[in-house]
Amino acid sequence: MVTLPFDTVLIANRGEIAVRIIKTLRRLGLRSAILYHDIDVRTLAVSMADTAVAIRGHTPLAAYLDIEQIIAAARTANAGAIHPGYGFLSENAEFARAVTQAGFAFIGPAPETIELMGDKIRARNFVRRHGFPVAPSAIEEDEPETFLRRARAIGAPLLVKPSAGGGGKGMQIVRELGCLQGAIAQARSEAQRYFGDDRLYAERYVERPRHIEVQVLGDSFGNVVHLFERECSVQRRFQKIIEETPSPALDERLRQQICETAAAIARAVNYRSAGTVEFILGQGEFYFLEMNTRLQVEHPVTEMTTGLDLVAEQIYAAAGRALRFSQADIIPKGHAIEARLYAEAPERGYAPTTGKIHVLEYPGGDGVRIDSGISRGQQITTTFDPMLAKIIVHSTTRMEAASKAERVLRELVLLGCETNADFLARILADETFLSRDIHAGYLEENPHVLSGGSDLSPFLAAAALLTKPVRDSANAVPELHASLGGWRN
Amino acid sequence: MKHSFEVDGIDYELWLSPCPQGYLLRLGDEVVGPVAFSDCGSGSGLLSIANERRQVRFFIDGDTIHLHIGGRTRILRYRDPLRALACANDEPGHLMALAPMPGVVIATRVSPGQSVSAGTELIIIESMKLQTVIRSPKDAQVALIHFKEGESFERDAVLVTLSEEVR
Repeated sequence: MVTLPFDTVLIANRGEIAVRIIKTLRRLGLRSAILYHDIDVRTLAVSMADTAVAIRGHTPLAAYLDIEQIIAAARTANAGAIHPGYGFLSENAEFARAVTQAGFAFIGPAPETIELMGDKIRARNFVRRHGFPVAPSAIEEDEPETFLRRARAIGAPLLVKPSAGGGGKGMQIVRELGCLQGAIAQARSEAQRYFGDDRLYAERYVERPRHIEVQVLGDSFGNVVHLFERECSVQRRFQKIIEETPSPALDERLRQQICETAAAIARAVNYRSAGTVEFILGQGEFYFLEMNTRLQVEHPVTEMTTGLDLVAEQIYAAAGRALRFSQADIIPKGHAIEARLYAEAPERGYAPTTGKIHVLEYPGGDGVRIDSGISRGQQITTTFDPMLAKIIVHSTTRMEAASKAERVLRELVLLGCETNADFLARILADETFLSRDIHAGYLEENPHVLSGGSDLSPFLAAAALLTKPVRDSANAVPELHASLGGWRN
Repeated sequence: MKHSFEVDGIDYELWLSPCPQGYLLRLGDEVVGPVAFSDCGSGSGLLSIANERRQVRFFIDGDTIHLHIGGRTRILRYRDPLRALACANDEPGHLMALAPMPGVVIATRVSPGQSVSAGTELIIIESMKLQTVIRSPKDAQVALIHFKEGESFERDAVLVTLSEEVR
């Protein structure tokens, strides 16, 4: 047991991440407090926490974003520190500042760090100034009259996109510079239509980009280490669904280069707590994309290979303790894969699904970890993110890990709400995925993984045999008559 | 008598006929079997299908059957023949706008009694940050709006009922 300046931690979050944080708090002998909106009153996290404080809002989301109520809840629960989890207010500098000013420890980086790295343009400029690799780019509003010339100087292929944009809307890929002017006009009209703001931005386009991110960890004394990389290239609609470490795209030289760059960026911002530096990798070159100043959804794969508990490390850093290990002490072992179980129907365009969980059984086994926030009897709604649980596995090799993850996804039984389990299992057994040739466009290039094509007859047979009216009408038919086959009523 | 089950929006017609080893499953022109099911209690059972045994986990919720067989999960809906008939004859001249996915009503653009033309925005729904506008498919009159702003609904819920105007 460790002595810390606080004995109770308030979790300003919900679902699986709240459950995951409670587990570490228990292990460290700390008390857990959680806040919850009424819609979550019967969830696992609320039942597991030592104290639970109700919060209100005109929507459930508004409640979880209400800084004043969260600080009041921390006082009610007698907490000494607040863990924001991911999402919600986790990357909100104003929240981090309010928490600190109210006298609580914020389990995350300093507010100034969130401010600097949370703004994409500001973060890129900072990283570029410090000499780290950033994709060549041109921002129109820097000097509108020279935008075309500056964009041309980037060279093809390049990407023209709305400054105000997101989610790939209005994006134009230019593969020949002759088409640049037309692409700018097109992007400008779409930017105006989608965002009411026609300012543009151009950057080098990386063909078949791979998403590589590096976990970093720092303390208040300027010590920073990296915990190696994760690859998160398998994405649907710009959202990660399968993550793994180590990345199958890196050789030792490139791995060392990218991980050390991440640690150096974190050192340059004097980073405290756990954070992630994201890069785009293509044709052997990598560029800084952004930094996430929080715990990531996919942090468990790093925990599986390094044996570290990242939430515990965050708590130690917030308590003002120095890192207890140096870079040389961190030796990752084996291969870990995470698959995100979502309440959605991939074959219907990833439409969200709802329902009530009637049956829930997770398989176990060596090297299997399930981070789940759901329980039997729970209603699945569309109020929050569709993520239900994370399936994390650890094995010696990538092939073994993929087959273990596939087995777990096939064995888990969740009845009552449609999920993407079958889809994830198909990806994990897909030849292209196993050949390591993945990139951000993998799902678009491999649409076959979207359709199951599985035989329905066992399902129809079981359903027919389980339905009384179907059995009854069969039993009403004399056997001899039935064997003639042509019977109709 | 033929029965019907819906899977992913597709109806499958089938019936069972008894045979010495249990039943034969008649699926369109196809005969599968013999098939038999033994219930092991607590929502699990064994399906034998064409001399193969498969572990089954199931949950029955009214007409909805949730099944987990061979590492795959499917939701099947039994189409009660009587109810299917009633639906088919349901109020001629009425049109119903069904929810394409579960979500919440963001805004209603019309009120009951209002005449609308084809393409008029009726209601705006949101699901996982995705907004969808439900428009009138033809000239009609708004009969009923089934959800208020802020209310949530399930997939296939009736959002708006329109009646075709009698001119």
